[in-house]
Amino acid sequence: MIAIQVNTLPEWRRQARELLMRGVTPNDVTWESQQHSLFVDDEKSSIVAKPIVHPQLRIPQAFFSLAESVACFRDDRKWSLLYSVAWRLLFEDKALLSMVIDKQVSQLLAMQKAVSRDKHKMAAFVRFKSVNIVDAENDMPTTYEHYVAWFEPEHFIVREKLPFFRKRFSNMCWSILTPDLCAHWNREELTFTTGIAKPPNIDDDLERLWLTYYKNIFNPARLKVKAMQSEMPKKYWKNLPEAVLIKSLVSESSKQSDAMLKAPSVPDKNYIMKSQFVKQQQEKLRGKRKEMN
Amino acid sequence: MKLQQKLAILADAAKYDASCASSGSNNKNSKNGKGVGSTSSGMGICHSYTPDGRCISLLKILLTNFCIYECSYCINRASSPVERARFTVDEVVNLTIDFYKRNYIEGLFLSSGIIQSSDYTMEQMVSVARELRKTHDFRGYIHLKTIPDASPELLRMAGLYADRLSINVELPSKQSLALYAPEKNPATIKKSMSVLRDHIDESKESRKKSKIIATSATQPMTRHKKTSKFIYSPAGQSTQMIVGADQSSDAKILTLSNNLYNKYQMRRVYYSAFSPIPHSAQQLPAQSPPLIREHRLYQADWLLRFYGFGVNEITASSTVINNEGQGGMLDLDIDPKLAWALRHLEFFPVNVNTATREMLLRVPGIGAIGANKIIKSRRFKRLRVSDIAKCGLSIKKIEPFIEASDANPACRLLEDENLKQYFIKKESAQMALF
Repeated sequence: MIAIQVNTLPEWRRQARELLMRGVTPNDVTWESQQHSLFVDDEKSSIVAKPIVHPQLRIPQAFFSLAESVACFRDDRKWSLLYSVAWRLLFEDKALLSMVIDKQVSQLLAMQKAVSRDKHKMAAFVRFKSVNIVDAENDMPTTYEHYVAWFEPEHFIVREKLPFFRKRFSNMCWSILTPDLCAHWNREELTFTTGIAKPPNIDDDLERLWLTYYKNIFNPARLKVKAMQSEMPKKYWKNLPEAVLIKSLVSESSKQSDAMLKAPSVPDKNYIMKSQFVKQQQEKLRGKRKEMN
Repeated sequence: MKLQQKLAILADAAKYDASCASSGSNNKNSKNGKGVGSTSSGMGICHSYTPDGRCISLLKILLTNFCIYECSYCINRASSPVERARFTVDEVVNLTIDFYKRNYIEGLFLSSGIIQSSDYTMEQMVSVARELRKTHDFRGYIHLKTIPDASPELLRMAGLYADRLSINVELPSKQSLALYAPEKNPATIKKSMSVLRDHIDESKESRKKSKIIATSATQPMTRHKKTSKFIYSPAGQSTQMIVGADQSSDAKILTLSNNLYNKYQMRRVYYSAFSPIPHSAQQLPAQSPPLIREHRLYQADWLLRFYGFGVNEITASSTVINNEGQGGMLDLDIDPKLAWALRHLEFFPVNVNTATREMLLRVPGIGAIGANKIIKSRRFKRLRVSDIAKCGLSIKKIEPFIEASDANPACRLLEDENLKQYFIKKESAQMALF
């Protein structure tokens, strides 16, 4: 049994290539991430000592685009799964990836789907807060706005998703902070720092307006809490400022719409007069239209 | 009035519009610009969801809810005692950009009550879009709810700034419109829809041409022609009708939708279950919105657009009669595709190993993705019933309608006289979601 430690797709690719060329079967390798590594050097030399039996490896490009997504999946089982499928693509069935009902292929596809959903949710649920930064380097200190977001992705997707934020907010200064890593954009270049454990404590006044909007765009007569949760699962709520409103909106909604349905129609005098006036105008219009027809 | 209070009033007033789509525009981003924003030709992004299950993709607000019209179904009609407010152009522009920069939204969906005149109102809306695009170089999504009576010049300008335009048909028939919205003229609505369609077609044509020029260009000089692209409402046009305020049947509604799709190349027809409004006009039903009916209409709409069903197949035989004794209604207990299947048992079972894609799509429970997976997988092996589940499909629903390479005892269910009941039990568990 050979134990391999990798952290990234290029590392996996390099290792897998060596192993595949030497005909090492999936059952003879285990894969894990590097922090557990103990015997790296020993293992390496033992692989290199084996004779190369397949000098030419041809793996379809589609496998690597699938692997790029799968590599973001937050579970080490992905590496051995990728190796098994690569092995089978080479030595069993070139068209394996089209077999969507194959157990291993469908596992890879499920990982790809989870990663792509997480990436989509990151684009949706990252929330920036504006911070005023004083630039004191000049003689006349100036302030500018820096936008800071805290996000907890399910998978290792931050790097993959950054191009989206660069394109969208290329003329803003922003930081996206996550437990895995932090990315910073100063309108010119992207820099990275290590991940942090807790969100920074920032108040952004504009959030009040956002909450006002959220509360008022909601239609209490159409309560569908499950439909909301299937698209915005609870795990995301803690980092969404508007989510604090959900509980009270739900509990008040049936009260509100019941009251609306039961409310006696319009006792107000002014209202009745206004309504009658409008009705007369409407009748005139109807008459005109009839004449026209 | 404070901005926050205005926002509360003018968001509340906007919530009866169902659309919040931000998908299918052109590709743009702020890399070579001065402002913020990007859109894509692919799927939109929903930044949040409210407890009514609807997404928030756009900042959906009215410029004002003052209105000189008296449409009975509308909370903002002239005689409604609702509190009124009006945003300035700058207020809408700043709100949009402030929300956008915090990644709350994909852009703006602006609608308005009619103040002074249709043209005056439309002009105000166009200036919001123009300000966003020209002054702030905003490259996010803009949806303008177009006022049908506005002048052709304004309609033309609106599309230069907006990603999508829409004109609501509001109600499914001329008679209902005359009854409930006498100021609105069905002829003007149609005329404006075709004006939009002509501009959108022209724009598509010009973008196609410029693509050909750009790709065939060998000399850098010819590239300049690319700038002659005419971009007009790249995400097309859409419309909305209110369901359940008048007496129109589902057959009537779907026939109208079908016409709208064919005649004006609508990207979407939205159905909005009539939602009781505070202080509603008395001739309107004070009842909970018919959400399941709305859901069935969307399903039927889907069948028209993506599953190759004709409108007659869905509605001709839908003789279901509702509480008011009206025919031509969709079955509320089961979805329209299943309803079709139960009326056409002679079509089944469909053989998953040999059926065409069109035939697979007729099987209840098999959607476009499922059909593709079946077709892909059967190239390599003859599919058994259990393989269908591996394609990620719900076997229980599909089972009675298919034939596979192994014996399928569930097929016998087709002879069961209570077949519909068998499915209703399954559906009712699902409908609890609503």
